[in-house]
Amino acid sequence: MRKNTISTILLGLLVLMSSCDSFLDIKPVGKVIPTTADEFRALIAEAYATVSDDRGLASFRSDEMLMDGTMAANDLNSYKDIWIWNDYAASENTATFKWRQFYHVLFIANYVIESESMIENGTSEEIRQMVGEAYMLRAYMHFILVNLHAPAYTKCDPAATKAVPLKLDSDTENTLSRNTVAEVYASILDDLESAEDYLNVDSWETGLNYRFTTLSVDAIRSRVCLYMGDWSGAYKAAQSVLAVKSELADVAKMLPSDYRSVESIVSLEEVMSAQYARAMKVAPAFFKMYGTGDLRKNKYYKQITASKVDLLKGGSNQYSCTVRVGEMYLNAAEAALQGGTENGLDEARTQLLTLQQARYNASAYAAKMKSVNEMTSEDLLQEIYDERARELAFEGHRWFDLRRTTQPRIVKTFKGEEYVLEEGDERYTIRIPAEAIEANPNLAN
Amino acid sequence: MRTLVFCCLLALNVLYAAGASAAGRTVSGTVISAEDNEPLVGASVIVTSDQLKKAGSSQESLGVLTDIDGKFTIAVPAGVKELKCSYVGYTAKTVTLSADKDKYTIIMESSSTMLKDVVVTGYQVIERRKLTASISKVGVDDEMRGAVMNVDQILAGQVAGLSAVQNTGTPGAPMKIRIRGTASLSGTQDPLWVIDGVPMNGTDVPAMEELKDIDNIYQSSVAGLNPADIESITVLKDAAATAIYGTRAANGVIVITTKNGKAGKAEVNFSTRLSFSPKPSIDRLNLLTASEKVDLELDLLQSDYTYRENKGGVSRILQNAGMFDAYKAGGWNALSPDVQAQINSLRAINTDWNDILFRSTFNQEYNFSVSGGNDKATYYTSVGFYDENGNVPGVNINRFNAVLKTSYRLSSRLKVGASLFANRRKSNSYLTDSDGFTNPVYYSRRANPYQLPYDENGNYIYDIDIQGREDSDLKFNVFEERENTDYTQESMGVTALFDVNLRINDSFKASTQLGFQLDHSDVQSYAHAETYAMRKEFERTTLASLGGVSFLPDGGRHMQNRSTNKQINWKAQVEYGSTFSRVHDVEAMLGTEIRKTWYDYFSSTAYGYDKKTLTSKPVLFPNESWARQYSLHSESYAENAYASFYGTASYSLMHRYTIGTSIRFDGSDLFGVDKKYRFLPLYSFSGLWRASEEPFLREVSAINNLGFRVSYGIQGNIDKSTSSYVMGYYNNISILPGMTEDVIVLGTPPNRRLRWEKTRTLNAGADMSVLDNAISFSLDYYHRKGSDLIALKMLPLETGFSSTSVNWASMRNQGVELALSTRNISTKDFTWTTNFNIAYNENTVLQETVPSNQTTPSREGHPVNSIFAYKTAGLDDEGYPLFLNKDGEAVTAAELLKLNGAGASMLSAEEQRNMYSYIGSGDPLITGGFINTFKYKQFDLSLNFAFNLLMYSRVTPSYSNTIFDRGMNTNRDILNRWTPSNSSSTLPALLVEGKRQSEYVQYSEFSLYSMMDTWVKRSDHVRLQNIRLGYNIPKQWLSRIGVKNAVVAFEARNLLVFGCNYDNYLDPETMGNQFAQPIPKSYTFSLNVGF
Repeated sequence: MRKNTISTILLGLLVLMSSCDSFLDIKPVGKVIPTTADEFRALIAEAYATVSDDRGLASFRSDEMLMDGTMAANDLNSYKDIWIWNDYAASENTATFKWRQFYHVLFIANYVIESESMIENGTSEEIRQMVGEAYMLRAYMHFILVNLHAPAYTKCDPAATKAVPLKLDSDTENTLSRNTVAEVYASILDDLESAEDYLNVDSWETGLNYRFTTLSVDAIRSRVCLYMGDWSGAYKAAQSVLAVKSELADVAKMLPSDYRSVESIVSLEEVMSAQYARAMKVAPAFFKMYGTGDLRKNKYYKQITASKVDLLKGGSNQYSCTVRVGEMYLNAAEAALQGGTENGLDEARTQLLTLQQARYNASAYAAKMKSVNEMTSEDLLQEIYDERARELAFEGHRWFDLRRTTQPRIVKTFKGEEYVLEEGDERYTIRIPAEAIEANPNLAN
Repeated sequence: MRTLVFCCLLALNVLYAAGASAAGRTVSGTVISAEDNEPLVGASVIVTSDQLKKAGSSQESLGVLTDIDGKFTIAVPAGVKELKCSYVGYTAKTVTLSADKDKYTIIMESSSTMLKDVVVTGYQVIERRKLTASISKVGVDDEMRGAVMNVDQILAGQVAGLSAVQNTGTPGAPMKIRIRGTASLSGTQDPLWVIDGVPMNGTDVPAMEELKDIDNIYQSSVAGLNPADIESITVLKDAAATAIYGTRAANGVIVITTKNGKAGKAEVNFSTRLSFSPKPSIDRLNLLTASEKVDLELDLLQSDYTYRENKGGVSRILQNAGMFDAYKAGGWNALSPDVQAQINSLRAINTDWNDILFRSTFNQEYNFSVSGGNDKATYYTSVGFYDENGNVPGVNINRFNAVLKTSYRLSSRLKVGASLFANRRKSNSYLTDSDGFTNPVYYSRRANPYQLPYDENGNYIYDIDIQGREDSDLKFNVFEERENTDYTQESMGVTALFDVNLRINDSFKASTQLGFQLDHSDVQSYAHAETYAMRKEFERTTLASLGGVSFLPDGGRHMQNRSTNKQINWKAQVEYGSTFSRVHDVEAMLGTEIRKTWYDYFSSTAYGYDKKTLTSKPVLFPNESWARQYSLHSESYAENAYASFYGTASYSLMHRYTIGTSIRFDGSDLFGVDKKYRFLPLYSFSGLWRASEEPFLREVSAINNLGFRVSYGIQGNIDKSTSSYVMGYYNNISILPGMTEDVIVLGTPPNRRLRWEKTRTLNAGADMSVLDNAISFSLDYYHRKGSDLIALKMLPLETGFSSTSVNWASMRNQGVELALSTRNISTKDFTWTTNFNIAYNENTVLQETVPSNQTTPSREGHPVNSIFAYKTAGLDDEGYPLFLNKDGEAVTAAELLKLNGAGASMLSAEEQRNMYSYIGSGDPLITGGFINTFKYKQFDLSLNFAFNLLMYSRVTPSYSNTIFDRGMNTNRDILNRWTPSNSSSTLPALLVEGKRQSEYVQYSEFSLYSMMDTWVKRSDHVRLQNIRLGYNIPKQWLSRIGVKNAVVAFEARNLLVFGCNYDNYLDPETMGNQFAQPIPKSYTFSLNVGF
């Protein structure tokens, strides 16, 4: 009898054991391990969505913005110390640069690159395109990081100056050290080449044009080369973009930085996020750079009073913009003038005037044409810098451009108190956030 | 099988009865237990040798055992007048035989010695004499329960090896309970709670940080249980006891047995407790008075310390009068008499924030129960109401409980029981915000003593000092917030249990139990438009593009969160137990348990809300980015399943030697984890030697009980949230307007190296009671080693993640526990008993993998909760802290850490680790309780002390040396800081930006300052938890009014605490948290009446 009982129990347990597996097979709502091409697309979309708006945060340090005592305490607490370059005694509520977010994008990009051969249910074009986009993301993240947190390539000895750690795999166990500026730029150029090899989509439909395309490689390359002072590289890349896409937007109809604009090449970063846009005003001195007849003056901005100017091109993902045609003309003009091509002075004038023609009304353009054609090299370079400031204002370029070019002295005044960023000040390089150093002490060296 | 056992019994009977003399007579009867009217199988019914001698019988011994129905038949020689019946766990009973009666029913009372006789583990009822595991049982009666709301509060100081620490005095706040120290670091460290056999869901206590807000009136599901319904609590401590509960039991198990009806006349019981809790005092905090604060501000304005110079009443007066620079240059005498008068008028204000923000409260509790039954059915019904008011006005909590328990004996073999526990809890509070200063506890410590809450017309005066750096036009007044916001939480809990017990035959029992638990919580928060909370919302959403108005509609905000936790737990098991030849005792059990849990959460927010009409207005978001930030709706859902198989077996020889084993396989749903991890085996072995049953000790009458136990077991755990794959969850997002796409959000990085966490526990113990049980003690030694322990580790941010779970360490907990209970004096009128328990737990990290990025030291050789700090060596001649380096020299921070220009240390991570010194353990090494009970005639008096010794706390620095905000109040340490004129001080000076820049940045941005040994304090303490004086109203007085018994008592809780220096803090327990509510004192009158 005992035997019977025990065997019955054992049998019962066996039946239970086997039925358990299905009882325990619960697929948690929404959880997924990416394996298919569609899932990898969703993973890359997350990488794109994670790209930070730190170029916008860095804009607080440039001369574009004004903060004053009338602003909300919360905004002053978050951004004022960035605005006045108070890096060493910043209020504890000061917004932080999103170091980890860049590397999170890099993690996904690296993972996609490493997974190329394992992605299921996708055409090879589709998969190669995603891997190409991952290379672009990797290049672009390193590019922003090195410009935020390391001295400008043109202002240091790149081979001897420590920058940020390069992250080229999805390993999560090693602790990295900082690479040199030269190493980071070399890697960026490498990645751009790999991307060129992989990308096969020429353009995305509006709404998906935050993604990188074949055209975007040269567009980004032209900027990278420009930042390196590689004038011929910058000129060539800009030209090859303009050969495919050269139409400039009609500012009266649509802002050129609008994601639907004809100028859009990549519309990824919401540089002037809703938070940033509401926390600042346009600096009057900066606004003065726009003369009469400048079509952008009333489209980019809304002047309320003589000293109060509101920004219109920001505060929404409608104005997300990473790279667009307008910048290509400016890159080409600057690079040409600096020796990027033969007969650079004329070529620079041509490129600059092409853009200016689209941005000024007829009479103002006529005046511009006259003066540009009469300018010396030095004056023309200044005019290109100024036009770049006017054209790409509040698109996250100004701070980087100041850094890589003249690093001028900037003075800001808040409630009567003056704050100065000296010419060539070391604060032209933003400190690596303390939380990153706490998590990796190697970053302090 | 049944026949086999019966034959054995029969054979024994025959054996016993063999020598019966024919001249006697045959007596028969039944032996039943008084507790449940169940027949007692195997009880021995004997004629003592004395009786045999008196009766002139030649026999030396005579006796029989009862059969499966508790029946016995014994032939007794003539002249025998008495039978003696005994059964383990019951008081032996002598029955006088009358000449005219041959049938007897012997009712056995369960014995009430200190060592209870059976132990309920939740899966089994184990007889004490076979108990091989380390288990403590606490009977819960009215006396020991005291005036507490929750079960967890009862346990403080009661059980050796169980530490219960109160982190905050908020009503209904849970206690932090640890059994034998900290076992695991990943996930919960809380024990598993089991009610009448069903493990509960939702009993984890959140970290201390989250408990600091008053609107975080967090309650675990344990809070739904009324302590008045509890019969006893059993704490399972070693592996032999907990292995059967599986992975969830790694931190020990607390088994609650609720009251049952007893056969007999209906018992009606009523009890009430009325408590008074006086307004807490915050004098201990040593806050500055108005005059001191004004002097401080004046002083700082003349110094070079410029941080937030615009804040504070003095600065504002000077700015308004345009004399700010004049004062800085010329001092007090440079001020006009008018301004001087204004500043002096601040001194006269002295608002007592403690007095106006807190109150004395009155709390009440009522319980009513009816129980009874007959031999076929028993019932227990109770209702209870508990109402507690917080010392903060507007904060209260109440609970309504009902319990229905019934048990039916359908036949002699089949018993069915059903229980229903229902409770509703409601707590009211008001909204606190993320800045924390709406929290009255925070505010009372931070608000300036010269700040007034109302002007002479009764209008609110707004405080602009407390809001951070910039002057803001957001108006804040703590009383307005209290008036115009609401925060209510309503929780409902229902637990239903259904169980069936089938006695197949003498040896086999089968039982099954189905448990259902539902916890529903509904949180509503409301803010009127006229509040700081809403003003802040409006300010944040005001956009220039909308013409400088907010896109949020006018009116208030209403938020609702609902969450539901459901659990179904079903178990079925077969038990076998039999005795062979009276010396071999075999027990075995096999069972299976499945559990499924569901959790859903829903949250909704409405703006433009009008409380009167219950209407809201639509929000017209200017674009998607804003809509994303102001989510109006969110929900989540999770489902988990668990299946387990378990078995136990034990064998006892001659009631002296017992060995036991238990094993359990725990399976759970794991996604993205290898299937080989699906079932975890856990097992234990154990043994018991009851020395007192040995022939050589049985004669020693002084020793009532002596037993030695040993057990060993292994438990495992795997982190479910970490996958070896890149795993994420779906979400969707619009990167550009009008196009929504799926994204996969990655929560944790993949970890291919994650292994099981394993814990091995060895326990050795001895139980002894001597001198007629006047002294009993249990002594246990345990050694628990966890290897491959899983913990969350900070990752270098360059990995793209902040942290991950890794197998990082092995750790040992070893300790000794002693529970001693003595009956010191026992006379007819006076008894004095003492319960003393003490536990020493030493936790040591044996091996730790230190990630290469870690800058805090390895804890190898130290407790897991070690406190490390930088050794300081006083201050230098500018008031900057000096540190002791490894060579014993006093150096500055810059020298110690080799700071670079930006204030970061250029030392390698390893060098930084070596800069710390070990100070001590953050957990007490010694914990325990000391309870004395005195009874004199109708009076009883008990004193209950609990103590935690040899522990350290890291306290929040009294003030920051770089970013001390002069606009807020603080404790008096700031007055004693180093200044050129107070250069003998040991408290650091306030540092100035720009001077010694790298040190300034290090102090203001890195953790150096808070890691100085200056901010580590010894926090040993002994607390008089309660003192109670009770009076049993004499029965003769009561019988006239139909009352069976009545007790009145006075109780005082938390009257005294003795501790190391805890100046500037309210209680030694809450030293780490400046903003915790004080642990309240209370005085209670209680009445307990039985009909």
